[in-house]
Amino acid sequence: MEIAVLSGKGGTGKTTLATNLAFVQKKCILIDTDVEEPNSHIFLKPKELNRKVITTEYPNVDKSKCVLCGDCGDFCRYNAILPAKNKVLVFKEMCHDCGGCKLVCKHDAIHYEKQEIGSMYFGETAYGFNIKYGDLKVGAVSGVKIIETLKSSLVKEDLIFIDSPPGTSCSTVAAVKDADYAVIVSEPTPFGVSDMKMVVEMLRNMNILFGVVINKAGLGDNEIYEYCEEENIRILGEIPFEKRFARAYANGEILSNVFDEYRNYMQNILNKISN
Amino acid sequence: MKIAICSNSQGIKSELAERFGRADYFVIYDLENQDVKTIENKAKNEPSGAGGSAVRSLSKEDVEIILVPELGPKAMDAIKAFEIKAYAYTKGATVENAIEEFKLGKLKELTSNTKEGHHGLRRA
Repeated sequence: MEIAVLSGKGGTGKTTLATNLAFVQKKCILIDTDVEEPNSHIFLKPKELNRKVITTEYPNVDKSKCVLCGDCGDFCRYNAILPAKNKVLVFKEMCHDCGGCKLVCKHDAIHYEKQEIGSMYFGETAYGFNIKYGDLKVGAVSGVKIIETLKSSLVKEDLIFIDSPPGTSCSTVAAVKDADYAVIVSEPTPFGVSDMKMVVEMLRNMNILFGVVINKAGLGDNEIYEYCEEENIRILGEIPFEKRFARAYANGEILSNVFDEYRNYMQNILNKISN
Repeated sequence: MKIAICSNSQGIKSELAERFGRADYFVIYDLENQDVKTIENKAKNEPSGAGGSAVRSLSKEDVEIILVPELGPKAMDAIKAFEIKAYAYTKGATVENAIEEFKLGKLKELTSNTKEGHHGLRRA
């Protein structure tokens, strides 16, 4: 079973929830797919990490075969390959590794070379279960390949928690697309609700069942409750906004390891998901 | 010889654009017969690489010189590969002013990028 934790807005508590759910569940694996800013490992403190380099391919043009017809440039949605007057320019950092330019080239002038876009790390956390996370290199255009690699070697029977990237971009879609259930973590602020609506739309389009956890409850206003009622969205739990939680979080603690009541919040959410 | 100028609207009296790759229009002026033609910059909403894409479109219009506010590193690589020369105008004037200044030799040729690169749309 795969459970994705996502939010829309950043900073609502995806990592806090994903790591705490995994901590309480124990027999599971946590995958941090927020490859632009992975931070689950900071809380889960893996003892030893293995690293795998992730590469993508980008085009290289054989000048002796290229006739500068322009087909590759017409095809590329990202302008990563630009047929000019005297040569073909390749902006490899903009290439999304789709393979299209080679397919449309009638003169067999394109072959692909590898570039490193980041890494995958994996190991055992200080709490006994395993973690995997990705780290995208600064300047690399898309983390989708890393997310796909993170998710490629999973055993379907394991209970898998996915800490997703914020927003509703390609990375988020890649992170949640195989999920059996999604947990939206939102905060009861106008910004939190606005971004959550986009996530709701995305999950409904993808036919993924979901519920909402209201984090930092007590802040903001009532809009989130009204929205969930109107849209018939299940609220899985509420976690109050408290300074002691923020303080422990800032110290890199797993809140369920410090506060019994926090562990209970997590257990209740897990119970509701399994129902 | 044709020159292209980045503009906010159509025609020679229009205001100069503040950016190249994401300018709304290019006014194309023929130095031999003073013909004026405006084309829409189709690259302006590209997810990435607007500068390179714009240079490619201008080359298809037989443009050999562009008057620009500034150029990023990828657009600079692109104009070299398309054998196009770029000259910098002062922002805030009209297309007509920029053409006059160019004819008088007052505009400086750009031979290296004048601004840092960025990826994708960036709102001014």
